[in-house]
Amino acid sequence: MKSRVTRREFFRAGIFTVLGTAGAATLAQLGLKKPARAAVLAHEGEHAGAMPSTVGEVDHVRNGFDPTDILTDFDYGTVSTLPDGQTLREYSLVATDKTIEVAPGIDFPAWVYNGRIPGPTLRCVEGDRIRVHFFNASSHPHTIHFHGIHPFEVDGVPGAGPGVIPTGESFTYEFDAEPFGLHLYHCHVFPLARHIAKGLYGTFIVDPQGGWPPVDHEYVMVMNGIDVDFDDENDFYAVNTIPFHYQLHPIPIKVGETVRIFLVNLLEFDPINSFHLHANFFHYYPTGTSLEPSEYTDTIMQAQAQRGILEFAYKYPGLFMFHAHKTEFAELGWTGNFEVTVAEGAGDGHAE
Amino acid sequence: MATQSESKPGVRPSKGVRPTQGARSFSVGTAVLLILPLVLLGGIIALFLTTGGGLQLASPVPVEALTVERTVMAPGTIEIAVRNGGPEPLTIAQVIINDAVWPMDVVPRRTIPRLGRATVRLDYEWVEGEAYAIRLLTGNAIAFDVEIPVAFTTPTPTGRTFLSFTLIGLYVGVIPIYLGILWFPALRALERRWMVFLLALTVGLLLFLGVDTVVEALEQAASVPAPFQAIGLVAIGATATFVLLMAITRRQQAIGRDEADRRLALAYMIAAGIGLHNLGEGLAIGAAYNLGEIALGAFLVVGFIIQNITEGLGIIAPVLRDRPSLRNLALMGLIGGVPAVVGAWIGGFAPSATLSVLFFGIGTGAIFEVAYEIAGMLRKDMAKESMPLVIFAGVFAGMVLLWVTGMLIK
Repeated sequence: MKSRVTRREFFRAGIFTVLGTAGAATLAQLGLKKPARAAVLAHEGEHAGAMPSTVGEVDHVRNGFDPTDILTDFDYGTVSTLPDGQTLREYSLVATDKTIEVAPGIDFPAWVYNGRIPGPTLRCVEGDRIRVHFFNASSHPHTIHFHGIHPFEVDGVPGAGPGVIPTGESFTYEFDAEPFGLHLYHCHVFPLARHIAKGLYGTFIVDPQGGWPPVDHEYVMVMNGIDVDFDDENDFYAVNTIPFHYQLHPIPIKVGETVRIFLVNLLEFDPINSFHLHANFFHYYPTGTSLEPSEYTDTIMQAQAQRGILEFAYKYPGLFMFHAHKTEFAELGWTGNFEVTVAEGAGDGHAE
Repeated sequence: MATQSESKPGVRPSKGVRPTQGARSFSVGTAVLLILPLVLLGGIIALFLTTGGGLQLASPVPVEALTVERTVMAPGTIEIAVRNGGPEPLTIAQVIINDAVWPMDVVPRRTIPRLGRATVRLDYEWVEGEAYAIRLLTGNAIAFDVEIPVAFTTPTPTGRTFLSFTLIGLYVGVIPIYLGILWFPALRALERRWMVFLLALTVGLLLFLGVDTVVEALEQAASVPAPFQAIGLVAIGATATFVLLMAITRRQQAIGRDEADRRLALAYMIAAGIGLHNLGEGLAIGAAYNLGEIALGAFLVVGFIIQNITEGLGIIAPVLRDRPSLRNLALMGLIGGVPAVVGAWIGGFAPSATLSVLFFGIGTGAIFEVAYEIAGMLRKDMAKESMPLVIFAGVFAGMVLLWVTGMLIK
């Protein structure tokens, strides 16, 4: 009986979506300005039992970060100009031990940069001078290892420059930002898998001179996993740490708006991750090191530390999923939604 | 007291002999001395609970224990009854089924107090015959796994399944015992040494069943929450039953019943001991059927009938030289066999590992006590005519008989 009701609700939600595609004018007349919201309610409301989901909501305030904010939280550093005219960007990263509620009700003893997983998204322009002031306030030794082109002394591995940074000590990693593209940073103290899996990583974006073509939205998505019981297997998967976050809180965009996603794979233990976008195709720029896309597709895969830039726009309104197409990961948390609505102007214009 | 009356059957101590010193010395002073240690103990406990007694030994790692007591599957739902066997309250935070995080409800609530029970409910369209691995994750990120090797709808107490479990109990317990009792007229015609052989055979059967019951108890003990101390339950059940039955036997002797009455009483006790064993067997079968671990095929049922027919033999062995009424024989058959039916009901519809372990413990005590009584009876027979080889052959044959027939059901 119950499953039948669920199915009916699902079909009803589907009908709203179809209505949405039929035209904004009809919907405006019916007073249904947000067709996708109806679908959201059907998915996430009383009949959420039909699909995988965590129970409850993570306390983002106690965690100190919200995955929704992480999407668009770019750290451009403190900017100044060096005597020779080169732009200097200074960043401050502090490693700490911190308990993070990684899934509702489940605390995880994490290691974090600046109190969050993933760490801050450092963004600069190709050729900038980068100074990252690192202070280790964690009870274990850590480093920061950047992907990019830089001297050996600042490679952030044991034996390079100061080597590992012990508890209570600091070091400044200084180098020129190159090449342009989408990169990452992470702790490189051994055992490496543990130091990464516990949360010491983040995104490092080097914009090309003159920047990328303008878009309406830029989002950072770090694909990761959480091994809550330390058996070297992930128990939950996510983008930006919290499983199912963007399923519970869909990312709102408008029909026709251009979207750029900086997608980084920092999943430990599992060799391959993937990204699939529903009802759409995207241009893919592997590692972001070229302004020409390599592929027009709806699914890409990334091994550990692989990353790339996705660009797309939605043609139709609706509630569209994005998830790992390794469905095990999807059902263990790596699932989200874009809530695509018709731009206000378009609807109003037609209604008049 | 017991030894006193045993040496002088029928004679009770007169009132004048009753010692009176105890009553005289019990005064207010004695009462205070009795209560004082308890008051001090209360004080120490209060001090400890309020101050911690100066110990700085808080466990750095949360120790959690969760026992899965029962899994109930109905179309579209899975319910898992769990008990918190750890030292602290425990919270079930998330549930993963076959590598998918799944919405769930916990009744009465997600935080389970120490020794408390809760039921985790999943709305999940499971498929008949497939396997499921369910992982319960606590708030401390400790995982407890529940395996469902073969999924099928858990039998509910409908008339039909009730009848099925009744039939299982009848096949396994009642029918074979009555078949064994049917040998009574033929065996009565046997000469004396063969009757001694049969008694010795019964001792062998009982020893084997006793060991078997202990092993069953210890196996079940693994799935009992730690605070319920399964091994302790087995020891209590076995010892208490053994001593209680011994006391009852001595009491009967003290009342001065004749030899025939005592042999009949012994036969009843064998029936009761075997009945307790069959209760445990029924529990195990019912529970195993629920878990899908057992295919109750014809072969297995035949095996149980063959093995348990020897139990009927054991019941009648002590009374072969007497003339027990048909009513007595029928009643002994019921006592020995019907508990298998009751066990199958309990095991099938409300299995509890703790209860099973207790029953197995009681069965162990009963079986060994009865073997001990028959041994006493044999010793008396031996006083009249020594036949040690007959006794050896009987005990040995009894044990081997159960070992061989056991191959049919293991």
